[in-house]
Amino acid sequence: MSPSEVIAAPEGQRETFVLNLGPQHPATHGVLRLKLTMDGEFIVRAEPVCGYIHRMHEKMAENRSYAQFLPNTSRIDYLSAMTYTHAFVGAVERAAKLEVPPRAEFIRVITSELNRISSHLVWLGAYLLDLGGFTPLLYAFDDREKILDLLEGVTGARLTYCYYRFGGVCNDVDEAFTRGTKEFVAYMRPRLDMYRALVTDNIILRKRLVGIAPISAETCRKYGATGPVIRGSGVAYDVRRREPYSAYPLFDFEVPNFPEGDCMARYLVRMEEMAQSLRIIEQAVDRLPEGPVMATAVPRVLKLPAGDVAYAVEAARGRFMVHIVSDNKEIPYRVKLRTPSLSNLSLFEEASQGLVLPDAVALLGSLDLVIPDIDR
Amino acid sequence: MNPDSPQAHEESAAASAGQPGGNGASGPSVLVGPPALDQHTPLLALLEQGLASEQGGSSVEAPALAGKAVDFASRGYHVEMTVAPERVVLAAQLMDSSGFALDTITGVDWLAEGQMELLYDYFHPESPTRVLVRCRVPRAAPEAPTISAVFPGANWHERETHEFLGIRFQGHPNLTPFLLPEDADYHPLRKDYAA
Amino acid sequence: MEAQVECSQIVKFAVLDELLALGRANSLWPLTFGLACCAIEMMAAGASRFDLSRFGAEVFRPSPRQADVMIVAGTINKKMAEAVKTLYDQMLEPKWVIAMGNCAISGGPFVFPGQYAVVEGVDKLFPVDVVIPGCPPRPEALIEGILKLEEKLTGKRRWPRVPPQ
Repeated sequence: MSPSEVIAAPEGQRETFVLNLGPQHPATHGVLRLKLTMDGEFIVRAEPVCGYIHRMHEKMAENRSYAQFLPNTSRIDYLSAMTYTHAFVGAVERAAKLEVPPRAEFIRVITSELNRISSHLVWLGAYLLDLGGFTPLLYAFDDREKILDLLEGVTGARLTYCYYRFGGVCNDVDEAFTRGTKEFVAYMRPRLDMYRALVTDNIILRKRLVGIAPISAETCRKYGATGPVIRGSGVAYDVRRREPYSAYPLFDFEVPNFPEGDCMARYLVRMEEMAQSLRIIEQAVDRLPEGPVMATAVPRVLKLPAGDVAYAVEAARGRFMVHIVSDNKEIPYRVKLRTPSLSNLSLFEEASQGLVLPDAVALLGSLDLVIPDIDR
Repeated sequence: MNPDSPQAHEESAAASAGQPGGNGASGPSVLVGPPALDQHTPLLALLEQGLASEQGGSSVEAPALAGKAVDFASRGYHVEMTVAPERVVLAAQLMDSSGFALDTITGVDWLAEGQMELLYDYFHPESPTRVLVRCRVPRAAPEAPTISAVFPGANWHERETHEFLGIRFQGHPNLTPFLLPEDADYHPLRKDYAA
Repeated sequence: MEAQVECSQIVKFAVLDELLALGRANSLWPLTFGLACCAIEMMAAGASRFDLSRFGAEVFRPSPRQADVMIVAGTINKKMAEAVKTLYDQMLEPKWVIAMGNCAISGGPFVFPGQYAVVEGVDKLFPVDVVIPGCPPRPEALIEGILKLEEKLTGKRRWPRVPPQ
């Protein structure tokens, strides 16, 4: 039976069973549970059950000062930790009207884009692992280690950085970093060609991804899906272009998008984004201005004026927005973390109807979820 | 592939009333600012018009509807609307027909004022406009109609707001805990919650 | 006489337990149990630069029935605690537990007055053999933890301890 026949078959004719995927499963990218109502090989209904890694970030934000919340921001989505910290410090700077020096803005862009590439490399390795190919994981993680070396030299951490501060960054970058970054850009470009030959043009990958699980742009909009999910459905929505922040308006880069909406389109968006990130890094390192990396006159005890402030960034997974409600105290009154993985997963129930299980796993991997991002 | 090329982006930014800031690495505020508010005024008028006409024909007493332009540079959104709880679905429909997407739903517990506030953030995939719709409900019986018929993505946001604050969304198909355990009967983000 | 001396250089006698311990220690099969951030460092330890395969531990088994050691990498949530306990119970003896990262040791950065969702340490659920502090610990720290577990099994440490310079 074709997927549409499965869905159309009346209840009485279907003999369904419930298959539980997770919360411990190699292909769910974390602790996600999927309750799958199956008719043989076909999925009739997929219900994601979340909350297995709920770590109370929003509650913690109400219990500590703005600076004390900074380590939490890295742990919401640990793969694009820099961009998440960027959103939080950006929100505070927006409300407190702090001016970030240009050198710090450029450093933020360089480190965020390096973080984006390292996140996409983890996605690539893990996605191919889900689809059954082990080798790209080893290549991707090896390239990622080079990025982690660069970032460790500047921030001291490999994964959960706490590098940005309100008004700038905490450490200046040295000549070793700029030289290493230029070397990395020169090293990584041919590697992307290698990935194209090894992975993207692979006939098995094409058969697994082309035409699988198409998602329309309207579905993405209705569910609030952003990032490579909506860009893989033909809409060139990128927060760096729509709500420009930091130094992004100064750089020349494209927003890759593909109209097909299938898993292959979302895959190609991420591969292209790595190339565009290299472009941005190259421009930023070449034009890195001199100057301080921290704003002057940042109050020791930060109090935001009463009211709401929102700040959005383009994280590796999509639109991450921080919405702070302040009542003019040192401790925020309410911090809302709008995470991309939650909105991206919410369309899974609709998009997975009628798929066979391996295709649903391909769809899940193409959404690039990080489960603590959903559960916060 | 349809690249969103920087040339096209700059043209549209110039066409709108957006004014770029400095253009080099010299001055303190060197970076291009956000798009100016002028381009959102037509949308603002449309929103006020749409909500006012509904209010004129309705017999429900509701707080005065207010939609106003807000300074994006200090707030992060362009338009702010305060609506009565009965109007949130209408506001959502207006947003949907103008092509917006739901960003998130935030619940805030104003314990001292005896109210809870619902904040609906909206963004647009093709325009920089950001809209915030606010709604206050009494804390003793916090209820609002669901907008999940308009935006299916609201389903999970409303479940989360319900489990953390106890706000009931009338008409929601499945108002069960989303992140907390299935048998959770507590609302952790309430200001009077004690573990 | 000479033949006997030569023979003893070729044929070794040992207590069977020691042989089994040596075999178990050098081929620990971890359960893929990455919960949160520490999982990424665990994956990096299994990948090409840090290479757990040198120590026989790169075969991550998704099924607890086939795994020897559960590397608890990440925060244990109260909703997840039951599943973790079930997985531990499903593992066959002999089994060991490595608590990787501050969350698995004591709840990590998510312990605060009024916290409602985190189990403060996996040792509240079942006994732990090795703890690896860090948030997240480096892959080298995970390797050191596995070597410590090997030392616990065999009584001998196979890799020389490198003093910091």
